[in-house]
Parts: sequence; C-alpha cells; structure tokens
Amino acid sequence: MAEDMLRIENLSVNYGYITALTDINMEVKNGEIITLIGGNGAGKTTTMMSISNLVEKTSGKISFKGQDITHMAPDKIVKMGLAHVPEGRKIFPSLTVYENLQVGTLGNPKLTKGEINDLITRSYDLFPRLKERTTQGGGSLSGGEQQMLAIARGLMMDPDLIMLDEPSLGLAPIIVEEIFELIMKIRDMGKTVLLIEQNASMALSIADRGYVLETGNITLTGKGKDLLVDPEVKRAYLGA
Amino acid sequence: MEYFLNQLINGLCQGSIYALMAIGYSVVVGVVGMVTFTHGEVIMIGAFASFYVFNALGNNLLLGVVASFAASWIIGMIIYKVCYEHFFSAPRHISLICTIGISILIKNLAQIVFGPNQMPMLNVVKNNVYKLGPVQISTVQILVIVIVVVLAGILSLVFNKTKWGIALRAVSQDKTAAYMMGINVKRTAMIGNCIGCGLGGVAGMLLSIYYQTLSATMGGSYGMKAFSSSVLGGLTDIRFSAIGGLCIGLIENLGITISSASFRDVFAFGFLILVLIIRPQGFASKKGARP
Repeated sequence: MAEDMLRIENLSVNYGYITALTDINMEVKNGEIITLIGGNGAGKTTTMMSISNLVEKTSGKISFKGQDITHMAPDKIVKMGLAHVPEGRKIFPSLTVYENLQVGTLGNPKLTKGEINDLITRSYDLFPRLKERTTQGGGSLSGGEQQMLAIARGLMMDPDLIMLDEPSLGLAPIIVEEIFELIMKIRDMGKTVLLIEQNASMALSIADRGYVLETGNITLTGKGKDLLVDPEVKRAYLGA
Repeated sequence: MEYFLNQLINGLCQGSIYALMAIGYSVVVGVVGMVTFTHGEVIMIGAFASFYVFNALGNNLLLGVVASFAASWIIGMIIYKVCYEHFFSAPRHISLICTIGISILIKNLAQIVFGPNQMPMLNVVKNNVYKLGPVQISTVQILVIVIVVVLAGILSLVFNKTKWGIALRAVSQDKTAAYMMGINVKRTAMIGNCIGCGLGGVAGMLLSIYYQTLSATMGGSYGMKAFSSSVLGGLTDIRFSAIGGLCIGLIENLGITISSASFRDVFAFGFLILVLIIRPQGFASKKGARP
C-alpha cells in the first residue's frame, strides 16, 4: 500500500514580486506522517495553501490520489478527501461547538446520518473537553480548546489525508504533547498526515519522513529519525 | 387614546413589513459580507411581479408570494453575478459602488418598462375591519403579520436546523475557512443573497397591498428603511434586524399621532440617529468571540 497519496511536482508560487516557493517537489505516501519544518517565512503555509488551491500557483503540478488537482476548485479538493486544518484555527466563532463539527461533515457528502453521529461520538471520545462545551459558541473557547475543535472538525469529514498547519501554535507544553499523541492516533485510524511544525524536534520524532524548507526551497529531506540527528538541522532548528 | 392604540396596530403591521425587508437585508449583508444598495429595487421588482401575476391569474395571494419571491430571486442572481462574484478579494467599496450603479440601472429600466406613474394595486383580499373593543384591525393587517411571521419562522428553521443553513452561516463568518470545509462558497453566497432578495421581494408585495399602490421609484425610501432597520440590529444579526424593523415601524406610526403624517420619515431616521449615538453597534452584541 505504498502508493502516492499526494505528489507535488516543480511547484512555484509568487506573491507579487516576492518568490514564496521555487520548484518544490514532495511526495506523501499512503499512511505516512510527513512533516514540513522550516523557519518563519520559509513557505510552509504557502505550500499547504497551494495544495488546497487557496493561493495562485505560478507553475507546477499537484496530484492527489492520482488525480490532477492543480486547478481544481478548493471545495472539490476537500470533497476528494483532503482536509486542511488551517493555521490560526479559523473555527466559526458564532456557531456552537456542535455546529462547528457539523460544518466539518459538509466536506464529505457521502456520509450518512448514522456515520455523522458516529463521527461526532468519536470526536467527543478524542476530546472529552469538547463534549462539555457542546452548546457553547466556538468563539468562547480557549485557544487550546479551539485548536482541538479545529482538528476535530477536520477529522469530521473522514478524510484520507489531513493537513495540520501548526497545530501546537501557542499551546501549553502539556497540551502540545496531547496533540502529538493525537496525531499518532489519527495515523492509526489509517489516515495520512501532513504536518507543519515550528516544534521541529517533536515533529521529527513522530514523523516517518521530513522535508526541510528554507526560503522557498527544500534543502533537506529524509527519514524523521535521521533528520533529528542531522547536524545541519540541529544547528538551524533544534538549537544544539 | 383610541387613535393611539390603532396607530400601535398600524405600527406593528408596518413594522413587520420593515422587519421582513430588514431580515432580507441582513441575510444579504451577512452571507455576502458586503453592504448592498440594491435592496430597494429588489423590493420594487417583487411588488411588480406580484402585481402582474394578480392581473393575469387572479387574486391568489399564495401565487403572489411565490411570484414576488421568484422574481426577486432572479434579480438577486443578476446582482450577485455583476456586483459580488468577482470582487470578494477586492476592496469593499468596489462592490458597494457597483450595487449603487445596478440600483440606478434597475430603477430606470423599470421606469421604461413599467411606466413612471404610480399605479393602484388590485384589491387582492376582501378587506374586512374587525373591532376588538377600542382597537380596529383589518384582514390585510392580519394577513401581513401572518405572512411575515411564517416566512421568518421558515427562515429561522432553515438557518438553524438544516445543513444548508449551517453552511450559510459558516460562509457568513469566514469564507476561507468555509472553503477548507469543502463548502462551495460562491454558490452558497449566491443562494444566501437570493434568499435575502426573495424575502425583500415578498416585503415589496406586502407593501404594495398594504398601501394599495406601487411605482417604479418606490424602492428608494424602502431600501433606506431596510438599511436603517438592519443597522439598528447590527447589520448582520437577523433577529435583531427584525426587531429594528418593528421599532422603526412603531416609532413612525406613534410619532405621527403627535404630529402630522408627513413627518413619518423624520421620526424613523431621527430614531435611528438617536440609537446610533447611544449604541453605535446597534441592538446586537457580538456573541462571545474572545479577543
């Protein structure tokens, strides 16, 4: 089952005169956890946004499950089974927690009522704290709870590939650990994970493979464990 | 005292029409995310659609509601395609100016097609007046209130209980995040816009039945009333916009009990200014978003 889930070929993105990405090549295989690390402004989020076709691409080709999605409408990409949990959570503040979860299911029209209820129960199992707040407005949750909600919402569409953009951003260390454990759990459900992280050491320790981005170029790639001990990565991101 | 009580009923009735216009307005502004100035023209189109349907097919009120809703829905589609679809990421004033242009265009086309004069509306319902002690209420007034309440009820059911409604509310809050949830944002925004316009159209029909008159230029002042009611409610909050509409209707009609009927608009807009001085955000308070 080592077929390509997602393949990015020669992707370049410009913002006006600024080059954000140049000739990126990546592949994500079925069932892997792939992490994308890099400093601020390296182009990590841009990579994800261009996979979801939310930014204009200058050139390149992206295919998902063998199908070309380079110029597909963003909502259709999601309906193919690619969930994007954005940076900064972007939950819907005046929908309740329950409604936020329901919005997640809109991305997969094949789900039946029974399956939706199962998925909601599963989200509440993964995040008991959301269950306590089920009728509360999304905007009234704390940052960590919002992050949990954002991940739960991404999982509600039962995607094949879930992209997490800095899920640990601004969270207490203990919650960060919970979130990383959760990412492993998500993989065990049979899903593929593409993870962006500032917390490089943690990300690399759970990842199968990693890509290091530097000012729009992939400078290093390899197994997570190998990158973790790579002197270059250590110097730049792990502060050793 | 009798006069006062009757004006209260009149105000309630007129206020509920304003409420319907304002609900439509705030659905449009909420879902599309941009202010519109075409609502008056949409209201006018709704009134004329029902007028022609009543003329051609007889006095069937339900048919009139459907016709005005459908006609305004189509106008809403055109407005959406011209004014909004390409401008979601452009500065907001572009689509705003575009709506003003479209509004002028529709108004003038309507004057050519429908004629520039005021026309009398048909007597659609047999108007009996019921007396409840000192208070009088007419069949038309009862019908107006019933139609508004039913439509508002249907809308709130759709918004709160169906998948569609949740998608609409998601789009109104965050379009990028809605894309990431697999919602077809453009189509959803268009349908939201059309629902809002359709409600405006039905309000137009009710206005023309209530006042027994309609004209191609009726939209201007009603568009402003819809806008002010909606501003009173905080622009995008549907329930508070409805309350805003009711308030304006009541204030207008109570105001003219102590002065003359030509001061109607003075009271309406004076009240708006007064409220905005005291409470600039309108009646609504944004629900619980953390800073």
